[in-house]
Amino acid sequence: MNNLKLKDIVVSFMITTVLLLFLEVFSSSFLPAVGLDEYRLGFHVLIVLFIAFRIESIYLPYLVLGFELIHSIFSIEGWASGTFAGVVICFLISYLKDLIQLNSRLSTIVIVQIFQTVWFLIVAGLITIKTDEMSYFLLRLPRFVSESLFLSLISPLFFELLSRFWKTNRDGQGVGI
Amino acid sequence: MRAFLAESSKIKLVNTLVVLILSIHGVSKQSFEFEKLSWFESFIVEVFTPLQQGTTTVKEKIDFAFKHYFFLIETSKRNEELKTRILELENAIFQYEEVQKENERLKELLQFGEEIPRQKVLSQVVGWDSSNEFKVLRINKGKNDGIELKSPVITINGLVGYVYRLSANYADILTILDQNNRVDAIVSRTRSHGIVEGTSNYKARLKYVVKTEPVQVGDTLITAGLGNIYPKGIKLGKITKIEKESFGLTQSIEITPSVDFHRLEEVVVLMAHENEASDKVVKDE
Repeated sequence: MNNLKLKDIVVSFMITTVLLLFLEVFSSSFLPAVGLDEYRLGFHVLIVLFIAFRIESIYLPYLVLGFELIHSIFSIEGWASGTFAGVVICFLISYLKDLIQLNSRLSTIVIVQIFQTVWFLIVAGLITIKTDEMSYFLLRLPRFVSESLFLSLISPLFFELLSRFWKTNRDGQGVGI
Repeated sequence: MRAFLAESSKIKLVNTLVVLILSIHGVSKQSFEFEKLSWFESFIVEVFTPLQQGTTTVKEKIDFAFKHYFFLIETSKRNEELKTRILELENAIFQYEEVQKENERLKELLQFGEEIPRQKVLSQVVGWDSSNEFKVLRINKGKNDGIELKSPVITINGLVGYVYRLSANYADILTILDQNNRVDAIVSRTRSHGIVEGTSNYKARLKYVVKTEPVQVGDTLITAGLGNIYPKGIKLGKITKIEKESFGLTQSIEITPSVDFHRLEEVVVLMAHENEASDKVVKDE
């Protein structure tokens, strides 16, 4: 677990933001261009899960807000529902850190999948309440399963990359890579 | 040390609550009808949308390279010069054909809807929404080209959607596939009224048509012209499935949009009526 100074956080945040921007461009233009127009990869979710597990900072909620604002530029989903889900999940993780042992790739994949599901349920719930339409949830579910499985499978490698940006250590309660 | 930790936990809790309240407020205020971009969002859109466009172009170039170069590498050296020449000619023809096809498409698009008394802006699709659940596409024309919020967007095949948000050179279109987009529609044959709503799986449904209306599979839907967004008479799609439940007053009708959203490359944005536009200029002055 890393307790970072504000200066380090700002630098790491900027680098991660640039990465997120490029991944959003990839997800919103490359995937449709190669015919995968049914699928979008929510890399912002992985980034928020990474900081929730690996970063110990009083600014964590603002980091979540920042990443979701960037994501909202590429999606009319907006920043609010993702921020709500991200902050709730950060809060949950901060209380479950002692119970969750992310010391192998498998455990990282499983736990990332679980928290992606929690994220999906929160966001889907908010949108269902907002639009008063249950069909959204049912239509989205099959695609969520395939997209989230892919993200979970790449999460150990993705977290390894992010841990370089955030200079987190690999021992202790950090995510197993 | 313990006091410091307790203090930082309190600050963290306060920060969490502040952001949570902010996000709940954001969710409650969020509108799926249209959204105005802040200067920062406009800046990011302006900077990164060319990258989206570039990604598509690079992919096309790679496809082109694979199809027209790499597969020819193992050919005989004696024929290399000749084949290179053929390749060049093929490239030229390919490019010529692409330009010709594009010209034909654009010509058709421009001729289409001549009866609609509005200025039209041709634009290219450069990206889709990065969230799967929203069917929004981004085009390469914006405020600088005279586009306004809620301008309708069409193709030769029918209605695409309307302008949901705008930056200087780009616009996001909320398509009729999105469930937040509701279009007043008429069944062309029976003149039955209903509301078309997207279902996120490249289909839409027609709602609020009572069971007594004699609609059939294959009937064509057009816009009703109500709601001040879409002009009347633009094709929406065809009825592909009708389910009449034993309960309820209305029937469940599935629509297949007439626009093929998988192959959407160019669209036309309909501007305000000329008299509306001149009224606006007068008001601005």
